[in-house]
Amino acid sequence: MGKAARQAKGKKQSNAKPFIGIIIVVTVIGAAALGYALTRSSATATTVDANIPAGPAEGYLIGKADAPVQVSEFADYECPACGVFATLTEPDVRTRLVETGTVAYRFYDFPLPMHKNTWAASNAAACASDQGKFWEMHDLLFATQDRWNGEATSNPRKPLTELARQLGLDLKTWESCFDSKKHYGRIKGNQAEAERRMVQQTPTFIIGNKMLAGSLSFDQFKAWVDSALKSAPKADTKPAEAARKGAEK
Amino acid sequence: MTIAVVALAGVFLATYLLLYKLGYIPGLACGTGDCEVVQSSRWAMFLGFPVALWGVLFYAAMFLVASAGSFGALAESLAVGRLLTVISGGGVSFSGWLTYLELAEIHAICRYCVVSAVLVLGLFALSLRDYRLHAAEQGAMGTE
Repeated sequence: MGKAARQAKGKKQSNAKPFIGIIIVVTVIGAAALGYALTRSSATATTVDANIPAGPAEGYLIGKADAPVQVSEFADYECPACGVFATLTEPDVRTRLVETGTVAYRFYDFPLPMHKNTWAASNAAACASDQGKFWEMHDLLFATQDRWNGEATSNPRKPLTELARQLGLDLKTWESCFDSKKHYGRIKGNQAEAERRMVQQTPTFIIGNKMLAGSLSFDQFKAWVDSALKSAPKADTKPAEAARKGAEK
Repeated sequence: MTIAVVALAGVFLATYLLLYKLGYIPGLACGTGDCEVVQSSRWAMFLGFPVALWGVLFYAAMFLVASAGSFGALAESLAVGRLLTVISGGGVSFSGWLTYLELAEIHAICRYCVVSAVLVLGLFALSLRDYRLHAAEQGAMGTE
């Protein structure tokens, strides 16, 4: 082996310790940053005033209205994290917490300005609600985000109509409702409710008197429901509902 | 060594974007909404998998090959330098295509994608430089 080659090899071997040291430092910093990002959603739980009277917002309810734990979700149909929650966590929430009578679950539209077709999606769901199929449309919208979202099309009416057809809705009635935009007031009301409650991102959940930003796994969701069960049952959206009913009169 | 460190940083960057895409991270610390626009576009998937996952695999491959080529028997191997240059060259092409899509199709720029593009370009430049130095070094030793 030549002198230059021996020098190069010696240099590489002498670099091993600092190399491993730098790799460890980068790994620790990277892992800490990811860990922070992952736990941020549960760390940002804030206590909110359960007695804030609601505006004209009207969430979509599933479960017994007087269930011991009141849950509100503020979500945008085009938001990927909302889609993940709706498709992965929510089915378990419904079967294990809503259908058992523990949770009353309300969905509020929170259309974000950067999503071009989210208003159309909220409108589609509201019109499906008129025919008693809000939750079916809600689930289908989240499961098919890439078919109708702002990046897939600039004319969402066509793919949304296809979803309505898939659900077996009365298409003529649904299309008439969709085109009239008669539910935009309700959607706007729900959006205003999110802003009034200082919702910063989607999805955001209010479980009992805790506000949690970001998608949740079922275990995380259940832990907050258990916590709400222990502390203040029936405290969250009742005043909101009462105010809404008052506004309707 | 520098290549391995830069690639490792890339692994974490791409993992962050992947966790967001999979819904484990609620929102990207982006400052503007453009990151989410890019991440929710139909071009955020490639061959049925999130683009961020391809990024993780790319950076992980670069890290493993560069680490293996830093020490031991492979330290003197020209093949390692060649492999790094080829992988990072592919990364530059893919990254260039993604940047084009952001500008021409999505009309939004995700700053994490920009950082990743810079990292990929840096990895390619470093790989090419190392390969050339190594080849020249071995050529010199051959004539010694």
